[in-house]
Amino acid sequence: MPPFETSDADYGAEFSFAVEYSGPPVTYDLPCAVPIKVERIPVAAAVAQVSLSDKLSLPVVQPLLAPDPRGKKFSKELKTLGSDSSTLVSPTSVIAFDRNNGRDCKELELVSEATVSPTSVIAFEEGNTSNRCYFRSDELSSSRALEFSNGQYASGELCDVANSSREFGFSSISHEHSPELLGGAGISSTIEFSDSFDKSLTSSLASRVSCSQKESLDTNNDLSQADWVSNESVSSFDYPSSQVSSMKVVDGNNESKCELIRTPVVTFRDFESVDAFDEEYTQDASEKRMPQVKGKKGSCYRCFMGNRFSEKEVCIVCDAKYCSNCVLRAMGSMPEGRKCVTCIGFPIDESKRGNLGKCSRMLKRLLNDLEVRQIMRTEKLCDANQLPPEYICVNAQPLSHEELIILQTCANPPEKLKPGKYWYDKVSGLWGKEGQKPSKIISPHLNVGGPIKPDASNGNTQVFINGREITKVELRMLQLSGVQCAGNPHFWLHDDGSYQEEGQKNTRGYLWGKAGTKLVCALLSLPVPSKFSNSCGEQGSNIVNRTVPDYLQQRILQKLLLVGYNGSGTSTIFKQAKILYNEVPFSAEERENIKLKIQSNVYGYLGILLEGREIFEEEELIDLKKKHCSRIIDPSGNTGNNDDKTIYSVGPRLKVFSDWLLKTMVSGNLETIFPAATREYAPLVEELWNDPAIQATYNRRSELEMLPTVASYFLERAITVLRTDYEPSNLDILNAEGVTSLNGLACVDFSFPQSAPDADIDAADQHDSLLRYQLIRVHARGLGENCKWLEMFEDVGMVIFCVALSDYDQFSVDGNGSITNKMVQSRQLFEFIVNHSTFDQMDFLLILNKFDLFEEKIERVPLTQCDWFHDFHPVLGRHHSNSNSNSINNSPSLGHLASHYIAVKFKRLYSSLTGRKLYVSLVKGLEPDTVDAALKYAREILKWDEERANFSLSEYSIYSTEVSSSQ
Amino acid sequence: MSVAELKDRHVAATETVNALRERLKQKRLSLLDTDVAGYAISKSRTSVSFGPTDLVCCRTLQGHTGKVYSLDWTPEKNRIVSASQDGRLIVWNALTSQKTHAIKLPCAWVMTCAFSPSGQSVACGGLDSVCSIFNLNSPMDKDGNLPMSKMLSGHKGYVSSCQYVPDEETRLITSSGDHTCVLWDITTGLRISLFGGEFQSGHTADVLSVSINGSNSRMFVSGSCDATACLWDTRVASRAVRTFHGHEGDVNTVKFFPDGNRFGTGSDDGTCRLFDIRTGHQLQVYHQQNNDNDVPHVTSIAFSISGRLLFAGYSNGDCYVWDTLLATVVLNLGSLQNSHEARISCLGLSADGSALCTGSWDANLKIWAFGGHRTVI
Repeated sequence: MPPFETSDADYGAEFSFAVEYSGPPVTYDLPCAVPIKVERIPVAAAVAQVSLSDKLSLPVVQPLLAPDPRGKKFSKELKTLGSDSSTLVSPTSVIAFDRNNGRDCKELELVSEATVSPTSVIAFEEGNTSNRCYFRSDELSSSRALEFSNGQYASGELCDVANSSREFGFSSISHEHSPELLGGAGISSTIEFSDSFDKSLTSSLASRVSCSQKESLDTNNDLSQADWVSNESVSSFDYPSSQVSSMKVVDGNNESKCELIRTPVVTFRDFESVDAFDEEYTQDASEKRMPQVKGKKGSCYRCFMGNRFSEKEVCIVCDAKYCSNCVLRAMGSMPEGRKCVTCIGFPIDESKRGNLGKCSRMLKRLLNDLEVRQIMRTEKLCDANQLPPEYICVNAQPLSHEELIILQTCANPPEKLKPGKYWYDKVSGLWGKEGQKPSKIISPHLNVGGPIKPDASNGNTQVFINGREITKVELRMLQLSGVQCAGNPHFWLHDDGSYQEEGQKNTRGYLWGKAGTKLVCALLSLPVPSKFSNSCGEQGSNIVNRTVPDYLQQRILQKLLLVGYNGSGTSTIFKQAKILYNEVPFSAEERENIKLKIQSNVYGYLGILLEGREIFEEEELIDLKKKHCSRIIDPSGNTGNNDDKTIYSVGPRLKVFSDWLLKTMVSGNLETIFPAATREYAPLVEELWNDPAIQATYNRRSELEMLPTVASYFLERAITVLRTDYEPSNLDILNAEGVTSLNGLACVDFSFPQSAPDADIDAADQHDSLLRYQLIRVHARGLGENCKWLEMFEDVGMVIFCVALSDYDQFSVDGNGSITNKMVQSRQLFEFIVNHSTFDQMDFLLILNKFDLFEEKIERVPLTQCDWFHDFHPVLGRHHSNSNSNSINNSPSLGHLASHYIAVKFKRLYSSLTGRKLYVSLVKGLEPDTVDAALKYAREILKWDEERANFSLSEYSIYSTEVSSSQ
Repeated sequence: MSVAELKDRHVAATETVNALRERLKQKRLSLLDTDVAGYAISKSRTSVSFGPTDLVCCRTLQGHTGKVYSLDWTPEKNRIVSASQDGRLIVWNALTSQKTHAIKLPCAWVMTCAFSPSGQSVACGGLDSVCSIFNLNSPMDKDGNLPMSKMLSGHKGYVSSCQYVPDEETRLITSSGDHTCVLWDITTGLRISLFGGEFQSGHTADVLSVSINGSNSRMFVSGSCDATACLWDTRVASRAVRTFHGHEGDVNTVKFFPDGNRFGTGSDDGTCRLFDIRTGHQLQVYHQQNNDNDVPHVTSIAFSISGRLLFAGYSNGDCYVWDTLLATVVLNLGSLQNSHEARISCLGLSADGSALCTGSWDANLKIWAFGGHRTVI
């Protein structure tokens, strides 16, 4: 297993462990950093119960004395905690440091550090302690450490020593569960380690002193730092999940650095040895994440080797620098680009935005081309690295996510958008930094930011354009291009360059019209409209078709799952959605496939007809024979051939064709031989269809169970459909069977087109145009008892369940072989889906489909045909006579009554299952308007869902009672 | 013959089959005097013992944003392909833990993925009922996506599992929700043979997993929702060579034993079982006694190179390492530090047996390797 040999030598892995110190506040004199005598080492007090399994034994590792040439003593104690009593923990070499920055008499003991020589092979046993409690304690410690260091800042002196030391213990414990450490050797034993150094602070906390200092380190220090690094790299491993603000990540250790900054007496060496964190720590909680500089200036942050001239890779979040040996370890698999493992999930340092996706030579050397390309791609495109919208202020108003998306996806976006404050003139599209002249003309009429302020560009010319006082440069430009600016006029400048004086109707001229203007603008470095700036009409359509980057797509995509029992019309609705919202609903290839599908369907229908014809012919012949026999008894036993002719008989040529067709159908390879067949048999089909025998059979089609209802639609068009140059119309496609169900699953992305003229009235509407919906249609087949793949749809926003109303008198054979009403089978599927754990708490929209068929059928067949609807007794008695007259509008038709009844049935069922409200929509699958209405209804429900969160709880409860009472 | 008559005869025939099956089961039980563990104990074999550091997580592959559903190693180099619900296939370099390819799929609901024997292309399948082949060497299109090089369509249900025939770059076996398995010719994109289905004897429910015999690539097993596993010969498509009963739940995963004479199964009933393909007997049940009623399902299994260890991922996030001889759990990866936070959905052993990769619903993959100085077993 060479590749995974986790040899320490490879990475110079260092391990450090510490144990939580949560005993009583230390009562004895804290870190007596007098030269240590072994006997006098403070024994660590009770080990915290929380984080360690009960089986732990706590071997104490004797500290080693590291004499300091400068007379400083480091006193440290290491306490290892073997995790498993059954196995021996034997760190074979543990290096401890004594640190004593004994300038001041204040000393504190930090229980926080442990070092293990990287070269030693250590066999640790794992404890069975769960990570969980560590995470918690870690969070706790970090936040407390934050407070603590705040206090320090203020006082400059550390007094609550005991308190702090405890926290440090916490944090260091949490470090032990690091992927790194495990990667190395799977260690979970903890070493408690106390470090003592004095605490005194200066206010110059924030400065990163380490950068300005050059000093060599002796090896001892190196080791201690290495240890810190490993500690640190681990410590924030769990931060991304725990969404703490980056400020909280400040480990308490950074005061150690601060202290050193203050005392100039402290040598560099000391500074570096103690300095653990280079958190730029300011009290206004700036959101910057800084790495922990422990090494000398310019060395790698992980191994502390090298100098500032050696090549390094930089973390785009915290600015940590790693040498080529360490970078892969420190950055892991780089799911968000070049970030330390601990920085994953954090926003990047804005000053490094320009470097996103620009690869260094070092990575290229370490990794192959493909890998580098992937890293750079994700670095540029991943969600966490995108510009945070609140960093961009437009007209003194921070942007929201949607506004930023609008800004970035508009036809003419501001390029290389950096965080900052901007002004934006919505009328003309002028764009500039706050307090400065315009820098660019972007797409006008974008709904971003607040209203423009008069002093946006800090002008003092008393001349206004669109309510903004313009700068001197702009005024100069206006003058040079011949605009009358006397008398401090207020102009309206439109996006097409036309301008007029405020309060006047007539256009004074076109600003960009003259060639000279552009030259002047170039001279004064003012923006001119780009060639691409179009009128806003074109822009609207652009939004729909523009390809959006992945990260945006995921944010704005809403998924709708469309399910329904076989034959409930899900595919019709799906196709309808495609036709409704897609400019090109079906590609040429798709159309070709659909055409073939329709044609082979028609052959199939013909086959069924022919089969029926044979049966009818036989029946007829038997009848004839009977009649014959009754009339004359043939002595020879041979009936005359002439008598075989019935109206169902066909000529020999057609007979051959029909036999062939039936044979291919039975063998089940109609589809494989099919395309060639069309060309050959098209004329024959025409002949066949016109044959009186077929027509006679067709007239008895209601007796052919196999023939679906849509067959008549196509059979009547059989001749046109079966031509080779046939182009299916949208209606043909809607009617066609099996076009979408070739695959088990089909999905279509769409967005609702804006209702064109009044689109810009409502601000919310504009955001909607960005929202994309994905309609996913799954086949009911396979939605069995143990359906394993339904859980894949846990991220859908809503389930649309489709029921064919006209199914109430239909029966089919279910899985157990018994004949069941189709409506009841629909209900069973509905119950199954609603009860499925994946769709817990999800909204359901019930589509009652095929209302047109239903209306027609209900007049003929009573609804009580279906057992479930046995108590349907419409109060139609007195109205019924009236309904014949067709004139009374206020009495609902039987169809409506029945559909409402069915809707209520389903609603009751749903609320008995979930206690929530079922949304219902009545749809005629073949009519685009009703499908459109249903899908828009779905959109409203989704929107309401989002907004519901904004309502207070009480309001919501009122709402919900309303719902339940209304049912 | 009337329809009613036919139906009666069908019912009678079904009853006969069931009765015979029951008799077969009884007979097998009476013949089964011991299982592997019983025999091993009687020979006083001792269980493998594992220190907690012997198997450690040495890499975490982060990059997916959805549940990981499937993974596969290359036979040669240390590369892994993984399929996730974020609609991507990612090809990883297991040594550097970097991605080499991220393939955006036309259908996001992917369930399975596989590396070709040469490592040049990957296959995947899912709810779109299509098995898609991507050639890793083909140039990217203008959006930076890898174009699909072949679509194997023909299944009438989701593609639940796919595996390349060892050493044959153009042959692939898929299993599907339409109750069948199919052997494909990738160059033509056509089916070579169809195993099971309506008119043939085979599975009677969704097929969830296939595994091809490593030593005799003509044989493969499939596990299905009908709680059975079937052994197939690719030359005889019409019927299964043998059907293995025993499980009481859906068979989620099947895997051939390294010697090719046995195979293991993992099921919704919470057990793993070992079957012998020559006798048709069940050799051993691997079942962890659980107090609570909620039995975790076995989602995926893998054997170590020697076959002594069986790695099994469970739906509750556990991953047991079984000693196949003594049927004892030697280690639970789910309780180690750094383990996955959600269900382990797939696992696989690298070709040389040096590392185990697990994929989980927490969107990460982890590579586990032997951390101690033990020889590979």
